[in-house]
Amino acid sequence: MKVVTGVVGNDIHVVANRLIELSLNARGYEVFNLGVNTYLEEFFDAAVETGADVLMISSLNGEAEGWSREVKLLKAKYKHLDDIIMMIGGNLVVGTGNAEDIVPRYKNYGFDIVCHQVDLNTGLDMLETLIKDREIEARNK
Amino acid sequence: MTSPLNNVEHSDSEKNSATKASKEKLLIDVGSTYFKLSTANNLEQHFRDFNKDILADLMHKCGDTIDSFGKEDVHICSSANGGLTTLIIGITNTFSLKYATNIAFNSGINIIDTVLYQNIEDYSLPSDLIDVVIIVGGINSNGNVFSDSLYNYLAQLRYSNIVFVGNELDAPAIQENIANVEILPNIIDDRLHIVEQHLREYLTNLYQKDIEGKEDIKHLYDITSNQIFPTPYVVNKTLPLIDAKFSVVNPFILLDIGGATTDIHYSKDLVDDNLVTENEYDRLVFKKLGVYKSKQSLIFAAKSNEFVYELLMHLKVTENIFEEQTQKATKILMQLAIFLVLCKISHYKKAYINLKLLSINSIVLTGGITKVLTGDEIEDIISFFYKKILNSEHNPVTVLDSNYDIWTLGEQGKELCQ
Amino acid sequence: MSLLQEEREIILGNEYVDTFDFAEVAEFVKNASKDLFISHHFKKKRKMLVQPRGGFPTYKKQFALYEFFVDANVDVLPLTIDSNTRLNDYATSKKMLRLSEENDVDMLNGYPLVNHGYRTTRKMITHFNKPVSLRHGTPDARLLIETAIASGIFEIEGGPITYLLPYSKNFPLDKAFLYWKYVERVCANYSKLNEPINRESFGPLTATLVPPSITIVIQLLEMLLSLEEGVKSFSVSFAQQGSMNQDIVTAAVLKKLAKYYAAQINCSDASIHLVYHQWMGAFPMNKDYAEQLINMSTVIASMVGADKIITKTREEASGIPTKEANAKTVSNTQYTLRILNGLPNVVDEEEEEMLTLQVKAIMEAVFNDPADTLWRKVFNSIKNGIIDVPFSPHIINHNNMITIRDAKKNIRIIKRGNVPIPDRCYAYDKAQCDLTKDTTSIVNDIIHDIGIMQ
Repeated sequence: MKVVTGVVGNDIHVVANRLIELSLNARGYEVFNLGVNTYLEEFFDAAVETGADVLMISSLNGEAEGWSREVKLLKAKYKHLDDIIMMIGGNLVVGTGNAEDIVPRYKNYGFDIVCHQVDLNTGLDMLETLIKDREIEARNK
Repeated sequence: MTSPLNNVEHSDSEKNSATKASKEKLLIDVGSTYFKLSTANNLEQHFRDFNKDILADLMHKCGDTIDSFGKEDVHICSSANGGLTTLIIGITNTFSLKYATNIAFNSGINIIDTVLYQNIEDYSLPSDLIDVVIIVGGINSNGNVFSDSLYNYLAQLRYSNIVFVGNELDAPAIQENIANVEILPNIIDDRLHIVEQHLREYLTNLYQKDIEGKEDIKHLYDITSNQIFPTPYVVNKTLPLIDAKFSVVNPFILLDIGGATTDIHYSKDLVDDNLVTENEYDRLVFKKLGVYKSKQSLIFAAKSNEFVYELLMHLKVTENIFEEQTQKATKILMQLAIFLVLCKISHYKKAYINLKLLSINSIVLTGGITKVLTGDEIEDIISFFYKKILNSEHNPVTVLDSNYDIWTLGEQGKELCQ
Repeated sequence: MSLLQEEREIILGNEYVDTFDFAEVAEFVKNASKDLFISHHFKKKRKMLVQPRGGFPTYKKQFALYEFFVDANVDVLPLTIDSNTRLNDYATSKKMLRLSEENDVDMLNGYPLVNHGYRTTRKMITHFNKPVSLRHGTPDARLLIETAIASGIFEIEGGPITYLLPYSKNFPLDKAFLYWKYVERVCANYSKLNEPINRESFGPLTATLVPPSITIVIQLLEMLLSLEEGVKSFSVSFAQQGSMNQDIVTAAVLKKLAKYYAAQINCSDASIHLVYHQWMGAFPMNKDYAEQLINMSTVIASMVGADKIITKTREEASGIPTKEANAKTVSNTQYTLRILNGLPNVVDEEEEEMLTLQVKAIMEAVFNDPADTLWRKVFNSIKNGIIDVPFSPHIINHNNMITIRDAKKNIRIIKRGNVPIPDRCYAYDKAQCDLTKDTTSIVNDIIHDIGIMQ
């Protein structure tokens, strides 16, 4: 499984970004880490170039709300990214937010997995569950 | 235009700073309107006689000089054949198209069109013959990127050469489906970084073959045993040596506003690109911003720029100047060209790249423009641009290369960069 | 006119500079008080110098900070530069400075030195008559350094590698080398007029599990790049790593090899100093714990024989510290240094040998690069992953080296990537760690190892 990951926008959390890479590697994923300060287009373009199965965006400074609204629109311009798993994690709002509000809102923005202030390993477990579910779904089709 | 410079003596200081090796070399640059010859202590420039073959014209005007050098000591660069026309087909803007475009520009290619592969069916077919088609996309472990839509498109396209620099897995299918395709290593590595070397070599060699195939220019090989490189490629590769001749401070840009196209070379730190490359300067070209051959498109671009009327007012002329055929009109057109080029590379207009123009310490101008405009006239335009477009008092130092020293330096330094 | 002087005139012709008077500045440096030169204090070698961190946008607040520091018996004053200036964006720093002055709210995270200018800043520096150290993080620091020296700031921190790899994603490294070459030359030239200008490298790098061999190699290379341009006073540095023994070994090897490599390029006449940074990683939220950590760092700095210590504050975990907290650390550190006597001499020969072998192997690989200049050899080595800095955001960095702490909290290399760590040392490092666990547990250990002091 190939994963494209990185930190979106003007965000300097290098350590978290690298730890995500190491954790994904440890779980057997092939990781393409775009690092910090990555633009949304770069994520999608990297997914196309690598043939990634998963796009995992982290945002730690609470600015995600701003650009997340553009995700659906931008993704619609790509013809071969319909099946990619979209995941976002980190601090998704400024200040304290309620996960019950945040998760559905971000799902509506186009993300399949939303991890607001969720422990890294828990987030990666969620990813594994979704991948398994999709495999079963595909087999049953 | 101004009369050609004949036998301009270089000053003593220039003689001293010239490299030793150059003393035994003859350097020739064949341009679209002029050709120039340089030896250690002499520079000649002549208008080309278009009724003659280039070699015959050269021998007629400078035969004695040329005869006094051995073939191995003659180095020629040229932009006379207009360079190769290129079409790049890639799968993303950020990686494949951007990387291939970067390599192509730095290899001295002027005319580049791009096709985003997923939308290939929406593009109209270029009517002209394309010199080289570049296909790129995918890291090596990502196959099945290209399929019939590519082959269908190519079947309708007229081109002379085609090269594949995409993922390894697709290479066999590409080889099978495209006649005479050259397969080179991927220009995108597994970390999504650029790999320049192979495609760059291919394109500069192709340029050489192109010259060999062109009737009017191939005879130049009668007087040199060295490879003929595109002039902008030579200039780009040797910009790191520029302070041997000029007081130029990084980061800087070099503008070469020609008759047909405008070349820009820029320090890499003026962009935030994720490109780890060997060269310190990148190049780009605006193909329809020239003052002679593409005069009409220059005027068109000027008329659609909202600041141009203010600029004309500033220069105390009206737009009627566009219809005139005077020396004054040429000057204004050149000043406009400087302004439009700066607009195109600033954040004011979204383009292939946007440069951090507020960080520039020097602007170098070379080419015919330095023969027509004075330093003051150029600085006037540059400061108008900074005030109007960037709201800044920024004042980069303007350097005029009126003696073609950059090209000479480039030719001398050519071995260094191969 | 020399090429350098031509370049200087263009750099200082910047629209944010209020006419730079070269002759006046040279005259000022020539006649400046010896007390302003940290190199002079190093020469006297009275005690370990204590230097805090700190920079405020306005002159008034910076002045007030210095008053606090002087009351706390500071040895070296810091001048930390704001992040807009670090990116050469003087227009924004000018705007933010004005806002900070008008509204009494700090709109910048440091002192915008270029906007204040040297005439103004010099008044403050000469008023306090203490050595000032410039702390910034600028890849292109040409204008900043000129302004600093003209202001009376005679210690310049940074370097092309240490100020780029931890901070920038895509500033071209080759350009950074050229811009820093200018800085070295300017420092070297001014050094001829009076006491030498001291250059200091920034050893902490990303402050995240950087193994000592990488730290030392980069310190040595920046030192060589500086000395080869004529700098005569240089400080190598590193930050507390988490194991006292490893710190002692690191300092011993760094000092020994700095001398060795300086001699290799015939620069033994330059004086080399050691600077120790108190813990640069994540700090505990509990301010009392933070003070304990700071105190322990001071003890280790003494054990490693540092010439200067750079302090943290009890408020480290909660943003930019107040001047009160900052001054408190200074006086606490001075107190600890005063009562800390009769330190044992600890030598770990095996660890020293292992570390020396690692450093020499990497240095050899760098020197073996075919490029014709040292900076390009270093550039190529970073590009090829021969030098690999853990947790660097820069795209040129390979990030293929993985490090972890052993039971004694020494940083060990468990994946060397393309770094030519000799097999014997690599096996030694790995043997110190428990690598039998599954990989996810190891990653969890790394996460734990980063937050070790929290």
